[in-house]
Amino acid sequence: MKQFKSIKRTYGAFVNAGIQDFIAYKASFFGFFIGEIFMCFVMYFIWKAVYASTGRTDFMGFSMIDMMVYVFLTHISGFLIQTDATFSIASEIKDGSIIMRMIKPVNVDLSILFFEFGSKIMIITCVFVPVMVGLEIYRYITLGYVAFKLVRLILFMISISISYLLSFYLNLIFGYLAFYLLNIWGFGVLKEELIKFFSGAVIPIAFFPGVVRKVFSFLPFASLTYTPVMIYMEKYNGMKLIFNLSLQIVWLLVFIGLSRGLWKWAEKRLAVQGG
Amino acid sequence: MIRFLKLYRVFVAQFIKNLMEYRIDFLTGATSFLIGQVTNILFITIIFNQIPSLAGWKYYEIMFIYGYSLLPKGIDHLLTDNLWNVAYFIVRKGDFDKYLTRPINPLMHVIMEKFQFDALGELITGIILVIYSSIKLKLTPGFGEVAVILITIVFGTLIFTSVKIACCAIAFWIKRSGSILQIFYMSSDFARYPITIYNKGVRFIISYVIPFAFTSFYPAAYLLRGGNGILCAGKTMLISTVIFGISIIIWNRGISAYESAGS
Repeated sequence: MKQFKSIKRTYGAFVNAGIQDFIAYKASFFGFFIGEIFMCFVMYFIWKAVYASTGRTDFMGFSMIDMMVYVFLTHISGFLIQTDATFSIASEIKDGSIIMRMIKPVNVDLSILFFEFGSKIMIITCVFVPVMVGLEIYRYITLGYVAFKLVRLILFMISISISYLLSFYLNLIFGYLAFYLLNIWGFGVLKEELIKFFSGAVIPIAFFPGVVRKVFSFLPFASLTYTPVMIYMEKYNGMKLIFNLSLQIVWLLVFIGLSRGLWKWAEKRLAVQGG
Repeated sequence: MIRFLKLYRVFVAQFIKNLMEYRIDFLTGATSFLIGQVTNILFITIIFNQIPSLAGWKYYEIMFIYGYSLLPKGIDHLLTDNLWNVAYFIVRKGDFDKYLTRPINPLMHVIMEKFQFDALGELITGIILVIYSSIKLKLTPGFGEVAVILITIVFGTLIFTSVKIACCAIAFWIKRSGSILQIFYMSSDFARYPITIYNKGVRFIISYVIPFAFTSFYPAAYLLRGGNGILCAGKTMLISTVIFGISIIIWNRGISAYESAGS
């Protein structure tokens, strides 16, 4: 309890700063958000045409409503797990301002993490809740009954929290690597595209042929958005659910270990010039 | 105009030198845009393994439309990428003053300053897709078709550039318009697929409000299915000229409203 209080005292300020930052730059966030919503609607129309062309109600195990939940939830999950860790760490290492984090009695990664918590709180209230309500109303209207289950939402929240931490540490590692490259922006886009592809954001992993699907679902990228979305959609049940949640945790631990190791290594070699 | 081209050569030469120095950067940038496109193509391919046609369009026709949409988008991306910087940072930081003090048209200067080679990722994918799907569809373009291709690519590029100029100019009033630009730019995603799959509202918007459909679907549909080539090229020219005119008016008003930011 005492320890918790001290963490709260130390990092509470970072959470606050994160909220302030989000409010200051809300315009640019909503720009991206509306852009993503456009993309969701493009997908909506494509899938509508696809289902109309097949004449079936089922496409590789997904109904039209499933597909819509998948498309919107995947995009929203993308926002929930999105992190600027790569960029923060890479640019701070480059311009030397990382030293400001190192001389404070806080953990470098935790201070960035808590800063981001602030913006996540805002995203959940401003984006996640309204979109989910809209989605559930859509489901209710098309299905004629309430498909929403509280247990699934709670499981989803647990799973997406692990996803976020995983994404954070994955990005932190990318950040340490970006140290060697100058085009952090290009590198970031490349990373985003790869993650999008391997995590099933464009094509559900279930649509890939046999072996590819098996490999993809074991990779850490599937643990990012695919697992929580599948849990919410009740595609993962029983043992499969427990297995996939555990897989998420295993990957998380691996990446925390890796990033700590890399940081120790980088810390020794870091030379900050000027001031 | 000759002076402009001369200057442009100097700027490009400068930029190529820069590029030679940061070769890996260029590779990462171009590869990232390439991978983005390849993912989308895989998506279409996987869907088409299950269905024979999408709203009446066959696989290679969809590929052709998709590839065609990348050509004007890619050329615009290659040439006018600096507008993004103006919208996001340059006006906000007060750095725009620099352009106003030079003896060149500020808009020309902004555009000339940067040559974005990342765009080659999109352009190359587009060219490959268009050529490959034309072979598969046994398209044999005659003189008329080639003319339509050239006209629509040039004026399609102008549509992209105009939308960017207009959104970018908003920054002169509100200091930062990157997100507005982002929204309008992303709406071009609708034009990558046959617009017949959309409902009337969306179709109207991407044809006449933010006319991205004229950069890809209309010309591609003409080349695939035939129709009135002169009407198709003419409409594209007319619409892009109108939108370009509007964007220049907004830009000029913006410049006169511009007050330097920063200290």
